[in-house]
Amino acid sequence: MAGVISGGDQWAYVAAAYGLTVALTAAVLWSSWRAMVRAEKRSHALRKDRR
Amino acid sequence: MHAYANPTRFLAIARPLTPWLLGLGLLLVLAGGLAGLALVPGDYKQGETARILYVHVPSAWLGMGGWTSLAIAGLVQLVWRHPLAGIAARAIAVPGMLFTALCLATGSIWGKPTWGTWWEWDGRMTSMLVLLFLYAGFIALTNGDDAQRQGGALSRGAAIYALVGAINIPIINRSVIWWNSLHQGPSITLGGSSIDGALLWPLGLTLAGFSLLFGAIVLMRMRRIIADNRVAARLRRLADEEE
Repeated sequence: MAGVISGGDQWAYVAAAYGLTVALTAAVLWSSWRAMVRAEKRSHALRKDRR
Repeated sequence: MHAYANPTRFLAIARPLTPWLLGLGLLLVLAGGLAGLALVPGDYKQGETARILYVHVPSAWLGMGGWTSLAIAGLVQLVWRHPLAGIAARAIAVPGMLFTALCLATGSIWGKPTWGTWWEWDGRMTSMLVLLFLYAGFIALTNGDDAQRQGGALSRGAAIYALVGAINIPIINRSVIWWNSLHQGPSITLGGSSIDGALLWPLGLTLAGFSLLFGAIVLMRMRRIIADNRVAARLRRLADEEE
């Protein structure tokens, strides 16, 4: 059929798109989680010291 | 809405909600991603590259939805001065920018085998790039100001910037209709979808999953800002007592 995209390298584009999405989303999730846990620990520790 | 403007009340909801959004979001993204890669057939014309749809479309919707939420938070901050609205706007900016960047990158990766080019300065792609720059500007505006970074509330200028930037959202949405574009027209509208049902269902899973992950990131970043604010307030109080 005319205009049909074919060839074995199609999966390379798919893998690149999925890989990039997973890597960047995981990086933002991880850094947000770590920053939240550290900030809440600091806040709890300071509250305990006050008591 | 005013009842939840109190950070303590907000935290009572956000703390148990965060792991649920995170867990359910990861599960749905995993299910939708695997279905998109392995269960559904390739497109009759685009072949396997059409599978990029399952990460590209949620990224586009969340990039645009992120700025819409950010503008609403800016409006709430300007009109009602909710303490949480500014915190929410700041927490939305980074995941919003992430998904806008992912939309541009996955679209470019999809464009190469489909259109024969990584990039074209057409209405859809250019207006999406403008959205990425708007996010970057908002982050610079709020992080560069110590009062905003430490207090959580947005300055009047940042709130107005968020509202003015919202003009770009309908432009992105209508760009494929207003201008002659390489990008396809709207596939999913209120009237229905031009995508066959056999290819459409994993999109529902990844769209719901990435939306939940977006919500989880926003909650985590809001909790971090609130905790930082509390530490700063306590340190100020301690310093005052010592004097």
